[in-house]
Amino acid sequence: MLKLGFRSVLAHRLRFVLCTVAVLLGIGFVSGAMVFSDTLSAALKKNFAAATADITVTPLSPLSGTPNRPPTLSSDVANRIAAVPGVAATDGQLLVPDIEILAKDGRPIDTYSLATFGASWPHDDRTAPFKLVAGSAPWGTEQLTLDRNTADREGYELGQKVKVVTPVRAVTATLTGFTTPGRSGTSAGAPLVSFDGASAQLLLLGEPGWTSIAVALQPGQNPDAVSRAIQTAIGDTVQVRTAAQVSADGESALDDTFGGLTAALLLFAGLALFVGTFLIVNTFAMVVAQRSRELALLRAVGASRGQVTRTVLAEALVIGVVGSTLGLLLGIGVAGLIQYLYQRLDLAIPSATLQVSAATIIASYVLGVGITAAAAYPAARRAGKLPPVVALRADTTVPERSLLVRILLGGFLLLMAVLMFLIALTANGLPAAILVGLATALILLGLVMTLPVLSRYAVRALMSPLGRQAPIVLGRRNAERNPRRTAATASALMISLALVSGLVTIAASAKASVDRGIADAIGTSELVVTGDGGRPFSTAVGDRLANVPGISAVHRVRQSAGEVGDQRVTLAGVSDRTLDGPITVEVTNGELGSLAQGQVALPRNLANQLELAVGKTFDLTTTTGKHRLTVGAIIEPNHQLDAVVTSLPRFTELGGGQIDATLYLEVADGTDLATARQAVLGAIQDYPSVAVRDQQAYAAAERGPINGVLGVVGALLGFAVLIALLGIVNTLALGVVERTREIGLLRAIGMDRPQLRRMLQVEAVAIAVFGAVLGLLVGVLAGVAVQHVMVDDGLSVLDVPVLQLVGAVVIAAAVGVLAAIWPSQRAARLDVLRAIATE
Amino acid sequence: MTAPPVQQAAAITTFGLGRSYGSGPTRIDALADVSVEFGQGRFTAIMGPSGSGKSTLLHCLAGLDRPTSGQVLLGDVDLTRLDEKALTHLRRDRIGFVFQAFNLVPTLTALENITLPLDLANRKPDQAWLDVVVQTVGLKDRLHHKPAELSGGQQQRVACARALVSRPHVVFADEPTGNLDSRASADVLGFLHRSVREFGQTVVMVTHDPTAAAYADRVLFLADGRLHEELADPTAESVLDTMKRLDSSSAQAG
Ligand SMILES: Nc1ncnc2c1ncn2[C@@H]1O[C@H](COP(=O)(O)OP(=O)(O)OP(=O)(O)O)[C@@H](O)[C@H]1O
Ligand SMILES: [Mg+2]
Repeated sequence: MLKLGFRSVLAHRLRFVLCTVAVLLGIGFVSGAMVFSDTLSAALKKNFAAATADITVTPLSPLSGTPNRPPTLSSDVANRIAAVPGVAATDGQLLVPDIEILAKDGRPIDTYSLATFGASWPHDDRTAPFKLVAGSAPWGTEQLTLDRNTADREGYELGQKVKVVTPVRAVTATLTGFTTPGRSGTSAGAPLVSFDGASAQLLLLGEPGWTSIAVALQPGQNPDAVSRAIQTAIGDTVQVRTAAQVSADGESALDDTFGGLTAALLLFAGLALFVGTFLIVNTFAMVVAQRSRELALLRAVGASRGQVTRTVLAEALVIGVVGSTLGLLLGIGVAGLIQYLYQRLDLAIPSATLQVSAATIIASYVLGVGITAAAAYPAARRAGKLPPVVALRADTTVPERSLLVRILLGGFLLLMAVLMFLIALTANGLPAAILVGLATALILLGLVMTLPVLSRYAVRALMSPLGRQAPIVLGRRNAERNPRRTAATASALMISLALVSGLVTIAASAKASVDRGIADAIGTSELVVTGDGGRPFSTAVGDRLANVPGISAVHRVRQSAGEVGDQRVTLAGVSDRTLDGPITVEVTNGELGSLAQGQVALPRNLANQLELAVGKTFDLTTTTGKHRLTVGAIIEPNHQLDAVVTSLPRFTELGGGQIDATLYLEVADGTDLATARQAVLGAIQDYPSVAVRDQQAYAAAERGPINGVLGVVGALLGFAVLIALLGIVNTLALGVVERTREIGLLRAIGMDRPQLRRMLQVEAVAIAVFGAVLGLLVGVLAGVAVQHVMVDDGLSVLDVPVLQLVGAVVIAAAVGVLAAIWPSQRAARLDVLRAIATE
Repeated sequence: MTAPPVQQAAAITTFGLGRSYGSGPTRIDALADVSVEFGQGRFTAIMGPSGSGKSTLLHCLAGLDRPTSGQVLLGDVDLTRLDEKALTHLRRDRIGFVFQAFNLVPTLTALENITLPLDLANRKPDQAWLDVVVQTVGLKDRLHHKPAELSGGQQQRVACARALVSRPHVVFADEPTGNLDSRASADVLGFLHRSVREFGQTVVMVTHDPTAAAYADRVLFLADGRLHEELADPTAESVLDTMKRLDSSSAQAG
């Protein structure tokens, strides 16, 4: 059976070329993602294999979010652990993120969005999370070490002065040694600065404490038993993990670090496979329709239904295997390319040879073959059901099956979707947005079902402006003649465009909302000071700025993580006289003065979510445990304060660290803004990662991440359009093969080549525009609905980017024209005589 | 072999027409040295055994195929000198076609099929003439049906109407009745015959059927790519006789 399938695929190469390409692209991205992440984790595991402590004890934060200072343990805890039987030694360690190393030119080094860590120098080689490579250990606040990679990259040599900025302060110290990069958890491979233990506490944390305690066991002790003993001795405020557990946790944390890239690759893979499925479904439907006579002949000479079905499935198998194999190779190539690019960046990412695991190979083949076979199955089953008499009948085409079932099912889905939509619109917030997403998925599914029915009318309506010239009428009729085929081809484009236009609408609204939110929220403060990448910075910055001439006031906002029930919230501490002035706040209920009494203010949307009102109390969990708070005021949703707002003293009581997140500066009357900004910059020269911006620049910076999202969306659009183009090319090319005779006839009675091309172009454009317009409508509808339900959650302004969307339809039409190029060349090259003679 | 009795302007003339396939020892001469005239307003049938080159001749005459030697003059245009585009437009504007089967575009209605050559040329059909043609083929109530809804005979009549609607210089028909029963054949042949008699149309038709050939003014017999015989004012009997004679002579020769 496989042999028959192989022959058939070879004999009809052309028909299957694009199927194979579709499988290849999808599997290429799948395997690329897998190979890349395997390679990375292999490289990191290599690092991990090196010693970690037998047992690691870390403070158990009551929070899952990131507070603005790392939870710590006191030396006392280390002493108590040392007393536990079986423990040989303990070593308090400090590992703090959000450090910046400055390059020789005074700018922060480029870490490609990896965190830089600061650590305390380990006492005990057995439990050290990193090791000395050259030089000597640091001693005192005037000495530090750097990891070898970073030092080499920045050209730092032993004995030179290095500047670093910690969350606590800016430090200049002499480089005394080179170390390996960090090995544990998220710090593995990241740039690393270290100081001796006491200096580290002072410079990195600003107070005593350890972020973890490494425990060495006496020989022959069972780590599990001792770790249980430690847990009992210290209680449940700490987490006690053996080396094995630490490695496992660290690896999963690392996977998270690079998970973004893997996820992006998988997103592309999903899109490619999904859209490719339509292409395969179409191809097999066409091939079976064309070969119905031949297949029926097989039945007539005694093949069973199952055998005929299997003949067709065998072809799918061949395509699946070929596509998966090529896709796997492509994926390995893609992964290699990404690795190469990463190494070109000179990042301290440990490298390993490309890892092609059995899981990758199995997944590639299972997915590739499975999807091809599944997509071919309906056609294969239809082939098996062909009655043998078809072989004897003159008309080779099998009548189209009724669309009734599809209409009913699709109609039902659409109805459900509309209901879900209505329900979603009555709610708000993220759950409602998710409901909108689900409803949109249902709408798309319902449309895919009913599209064959719609296509007939829609194509006619869309193409009527093109006039009634013969090639145009013929092209349009061709698009109408196989509604299923047209619909399946258009579906692929519809889904891609719905996705893209929905995201574009949401992103545009988000941008507009940021602008408006900032314009509304920032009052009299003319300069805004923030840390790079939202990192908090030392309070020294604010202290210095208060003395800068021309700056009349400095207002501080600090942020930390908290939880109310199981809902994560941000806790914000604001200095006195910050609200209703420097930050514009509209009070809905209660009094802002209540903050001074230790009460809190909540934005209306958060209060609604938490079902709180003025006067009510609730429990907020922070690093220091549960705190009972009273709501003193409800304010309107505020772009700058989407948080539980407290006064600064109260913020500190609740466990917030002494690090500022944002400073709002008021410029004295008569001082020019630019002058003031220069003065400010001059005062904090040794904090190069702290940015000082006026309102416009601040808004632009806040919009930055959205532009990043838009970039990804753009890439997605390009890719989706490419695959949709393949689908249209496929449909047209197969149509040309199928209609060889008809094209011969048209040529014989006088259709010239440009007319032939126009005929195929019209068909392609009809399909493309149909799919694009539907997708756009659905996408914009979804985008508008999401904005509507998220109006209090960051999407206050609706912005439908009409120009871009119209552009998308124009691009779709252009894609149609492009898609017709190759098939129409083939059609034009058909020998008229042979075409007429074709059976 | 005598010249046609009535001296008329020739619609098509060929000089030493030849068409061969392949080269060397496997070379096949599908046509060899055919020089013939087809009179204006005349109905000519071409007959001969299978493989004798009838279709090849027709295709060369109609500008669908390029002869390997000789010339074809359509009126005063030398087809062998035209490029692909000019030939296409010539077929569209000056030639009508009826094939044995698959004559119609399935997505177009009967009427749209009939006017297709005019539509391709962006010309408006001459409504009066269109009415006459439709009247003659007798398809008035079927004009808005798709080909799939028409019988084989009706489809061939639509094809004939299409061939005539642009008032072509010549209509070529390759076994137009090959797939039809005798009644439907009679309809189609009667129609071609009337187009010659009543509208002065020039028609060249390939057929295997002596009865069909009897509708023509003149029958040409081909064998092995060469012109062998010619019969004026044929009847079914005289055609049959000639066929028998040719058959036995070629049997003797073979
Ligand atoms: N493309 C081709 N390549 C090679 N030989 C060809 C080709 N087309 C036709 N022939 C040969 O040319 C000869 C004449 O073919 P043609 O189709 O003109 O015959 P015909 O008289 O129309 O036959 P029939 O009555 O069966 O239709 C035949 O021997 C055929 O094999
Ligand atoms: Mg023939």
